[in-house]
Amino acid sequence: MNTWKTLKAHPELWERYFIREKVIAAIRIFFGQQKFHEVETPLLIAHPPAESYLDIFETTLFDRNRNPTKAYLSTSPEVPLKKLMVAGIGNCFAVTKSFRNMETQSNLHNPEFTILEWYRVGADYRDIMSDCEELLVFINTYIKRTTPGMETQRPEELSYQGTRVNLAGPWERLTVADAFLRWAHVDFAEFLLEDHAKSIAQKKGYVIEAETTWEELYNQIFLNEIESHLGRGKPTILYEFPGVMGALARKKKSDPRFAERFEFYIEGLELGDCYSELTDWKEQQSRFESELKEIKRLGKTIYDYDHDFIDALKAGLPDSSGIAIGVDRLVMLFADAKRVQDTMLFPSEELFHVP
Amino acid sequence: MSTITTAQFKKGMFIEFKDEPHLITDMQFVNPGKGSAFVRTKLKSLKSGKVQEFTFKSGESAEELPIETREMQYLYKEGEGYVFMDNFSFEQCTISATMLGDFINYLKPNDSYQVLMFEENAVGLRFPKKVWLKVTEATEGAKGNTVSGATKTVVVETGATITVPLFIKEGDTIGIDPETGAYLERG
Repeated sequence: MNTWKTLKAHPELWERYFIREKVIAAIRIFFGQQKFHEVETPLLIAHPPAESYLDIFETTLFDRNRNPTKAYLSTSPEVPLKKLMVAGIGNCFAVTKSFRNMETQSNLHNPEFTILEWYRVGADYRDIMSDCEELLVFINTYIKRTTPGMETQRPEELSYQGTRVNLAGPWERLTVADAFLRWAHVDFAEFLLEDHAKSIAQKKGYVIEAETTWEELYNQIFLNEIESHLGRGKPTILYEFPGVMGALARKKKSDPRFAERFEFYIEGLELGDCYSELTDWKEQQSRFESELKEIKRLGKTIYDYDHDFIDALKAGLPDSSGIAIGVDRLVMLFADAKRVQDTMLFPSEELFHVP
Repeated sequence: MSTITTAQFKKGMFIEFKDEPHLITDMQFVNPGKGSAFVRTKLKSLKSGKVQEFTFKSGESAEELPIETREMQYLYKEGEGYVFMDNFSFEQCTISATMLGDFINYLKPNDSYQVLMFEENAVGLRFPKKVWLKVTEATEGAKGNTVSGATKTVVVETGATITVPLFIKEGDTIGIDPETGAYLERG
């Protein structure tokens, strides 16, 4: 049944859908109070950043003479926000739609989704960790103050799927290596070596095929043995990711095998992905080029990366750090919903009749 | 057995997993941050009835098990099992409650169902998308109850309670989605 029909029959469900406007209102107040600029970034773009893990929506822009130019739907506001940082805007954020093709048949993805990104000048990923702790408590407080019957609940507590979660900072901080040791009993220094990773995974019973990559083994162990333990009762910040993942993240100076990157989890749910921004244009260019090669190898839609972005990096991106948060998952959490689709008035699965 | 990849996985399919036959009861795609796609499944063991989650690499291969379907009539419940009879050979077999899941709420004696057979054992049913059942108990819609959105609950002939629109009366036959228990239409 389409959502509008369900809502007509069950008006008590409106409250769940109205959580979205509260979450977005709270985000704007939170950053407005700190004098961040909110900007609009384009959804229709000429050059996506090269990221081989994403599948892109391709379309065509025609001029008045019907001359065609390839156009794409934006996968995130990251590149335009960074160009504005180069131009000198200072701290800024965007709450916008983004599009990722093939992300159907999932309770946690919708091909069209809402993303929040903010960037802080002079900050590194540890500063963004504190931002996340404060933002989540701020949103929770705002929702409780504006929802009848919830005013008296504790501002730092929420209930998700029957479990009480305490959002008050500081959150648990766990390195990827510690998480692998604690939950999967894997020595991560050893796992970083490709041959060792294969034998470790094989001993655990995972299938290794000729084309199986290190990244697949890493994520398969993570998804099967680690993810569901994270953020139970209190959010977990998972940090220091292997450097091979994340085309736009800066590597750690003290140990270049790792990137200055973190994700945070609540009740096993990944909500945000942050890194200290890569400011070296040469390295960015070479990473984009290797991502493009990978896109070709995978047989995905081919496009040229954004050379204007490399020019911007040449002009100098200030030291900064930023994060992308899936707003739909945030809404799902605050609305105590099981699927992101249950918080969307027009989920893609309804529009296209795909599961 | 035939080798398939996760691209062919479907809910209700039977595969071999860790050397045991399993039913795929749920599947979802997941994309970790900066990672390739994975297929997260819930697998129910045909031997123990135990359900576990397992996440496959997208494109990973698995063995699909040869499952036959036979049309059988549901007879009665016996202990924790449900007894069915082949309409032609009169042969009987029992399906456990764990393999039927919530569908036990909609099983109607003497109705025919598609029984799934693996190595001569009945291991489950091919669940229909819609079941038709008669309403046996219904109250008048509560007056002034507009908050709950003009619905009420009724009891159908198998004993299950269903949330329906106010116009449904005792004696009506209604279509129900057995997967969600949701009312679909009036017959």
